[in-house]
Amino acid sequence: MSATRDRISRGSVSFLWVLAGIVLIAIMWELTKLLGTVIDLPFNSTDQAMPHIWTMFSAFSMPEVRGSETTVFQAVLSAATYSLLLALGGFVVGVSVGLLLAIIMQRFLFLERGLLPFVIASQTVPLIALAPLIVGIGNQISFGPIQWSTTYSVMFIAAYLAFFPLSIGALRGLQAPSATSLELMRSYAASNNKILWKLRFPASIPYLVPALKVSAAAAVVGTVVAEISTGVRGGIGRLMVEYAREASSQPAKVYVAVFGAIVLGLVVTAAITAVDVLLTRNLPKKGLA
Amino acid sequence: MTTAAETVNNAGSALAISKVSKVFNKGNENEVTALSDVNLDVHTGEFISLIGPSGCGKSTLLRVIGDLTGFDSGSVLVSGRSPEDARKERLYGIAFQQAALFDWRTVSKNIELPLELAGWDKARREARSAELLDMVQLSEFGNHRPWELSGGMQQRVAIARSLAVDPPLLLMDEPFGALDEMTRERMQNELLRIRVDTGKTIVFVTHSIPEAVYLSDRVVVMSPRPGRITAEINVDLGARSETTRESDQFFHCVTAVREALRTHDTSGSFTSSHRGEV
Repeated sequence: MSATRDRISRGSVSFLWVLAGIVLIAIMWELTKLLGTVIDLPFNSTDQAMPHIWTMFSAFSMPEVRGSETTVFQAVLSAATYSLLLALGGFVVGVSVGLLLAIIMQRFLFLERGLLPFVIASQTVPLIALAPLIVGIGNQISFGPIQWSTTYSVMFIAAYLAFFPLSIGALRGLQAPSATSLELMRSYAASNNKILWKLRFPASIPYLVPALKVSAAAAVVGTVVAEISTGVRGGIGRLMVEYAREASSQPAKVYVAVFGAIVLGLVVTAAITAVDVLLTRNLPKKGLA
Repeated sequence: MTTAAETVNNAGSALAISKVSKVFNKGNENEVTALSDVNLDVHTGEFISLIGPSGCGKSTLLRVIGDLTGFDSGSVLVSGRSPEDARKERLYGIAFQQAALFDWRTVSKNIELPLELAGWDKARREARSAELLDMVQLSEFGNHRPWELSGGMQQRVAIARSLAVDPPLLLMDEPFGALDEMTRERMQNELLRIRVDTGKTIVFVTHSIPEAVYLSDRVVVMSPRPGRITAEINVDLGARSETTRESDQFFHCVTAVREALRTHDTSGSFTSSHRGEV
């Protein structure tokens, strides 16, 4: 119990460090702009390219388009929520597939040899090449009344990126139990399923948690990139593209969208950290995670 | 479980090993005869130690008995059954040099693991693990995590776990090998007490001559290349006590085992390579 509290308090300390880091970046940003007014910098530091921090914040409350009721902040928030849901969908699918692959590869050695090269090769295909292909194939799919939508393609791409780190991490984790532990289970006449459930799976947690973190980040990046390359509306990816077009008139708006993407990443990281604390609460402090 | 134990009592033979051979990497250049024509009978309630230098096959023999590895020829009967049947009927418990406790389980839950796998219900499991914790004098540590305990305490938990389903046979592969000398002697006394309390048949693998002599009714001396039994020394020390380790008789037995180990050292490398391990 106190160990959990320990971790939470350590968590808040690191949160404060992150906050301090953000403040530091903001200060350096403004100092750079100030420096730009004195000497010639090798890059553009005008308000057009690097708006003031306060301009960015004031952009939060601007109407999204002239005369509209919704502010930029509301638009970014709803876009971030939309992307978060897509990323979550992709993450869940990716983690499930990754875990399943890891279990299959662990159970059947020949499948590890056969599948692993494909798993690795899958990640060498550039996403930009893959996205139109997935959309193209996806749009031809329909299950009775359910019609494939492009948002599924976005989730698919997110899942495609998310499954990889998880399957590799989970495979290592499932193979982590010592020979002695496995012999012990054999001496108890435990079935493969019992060994998986009572030994391999719990033993894989220290490998699984970092893999989950990487997968979650991959799902978010995959969602944003996929939104852009598939042209799906409503998410933060599309919003960034739209706001970038208005950069000449309202440069601060793009940065608000970037903030939205950052907050998206932070929310996901915080959620995984909570899962981490929950899963590793009973393990020795000096875990791999 | 009781029927199995009764069969054992009737037969009087806990273990019957006859002409067992095992070859690793058969047919390739790394071929090693791990066991060659091994014969060994252990009667119910007996405590025997397998001793010998590294590579003599003592651990392999233990693993053959536990069906953790196969053998090429000969026959092995554990409580009158094949090793595989004996394992599947959970007729033996095993403890290794590493306690191999699961970090994510409490001490009690570790002891309950074999019971869960044997299909015991929760109430019976809890009662049994409390009883066993009491036996190894760790009652107040049931809710601790294994990594919060000392090495000796962890090994006591591992022994409790090996006794969980109350199997008639206990296989122990250098269980005290990683402990310091003081803890080791305390654990030896504790094991002897448990043995008297439970009447288990015990097969104990060790590198240590004094440990083998102190614990066993019979010390089985093995020798490598090929792994085989070269001598069996009966230890007749009666009930062990504080003074046993300092008695002339004890010293006499230790010397006998040491000489048996030296006599059969055909390779000539034993004395030098083994000195560090004892």
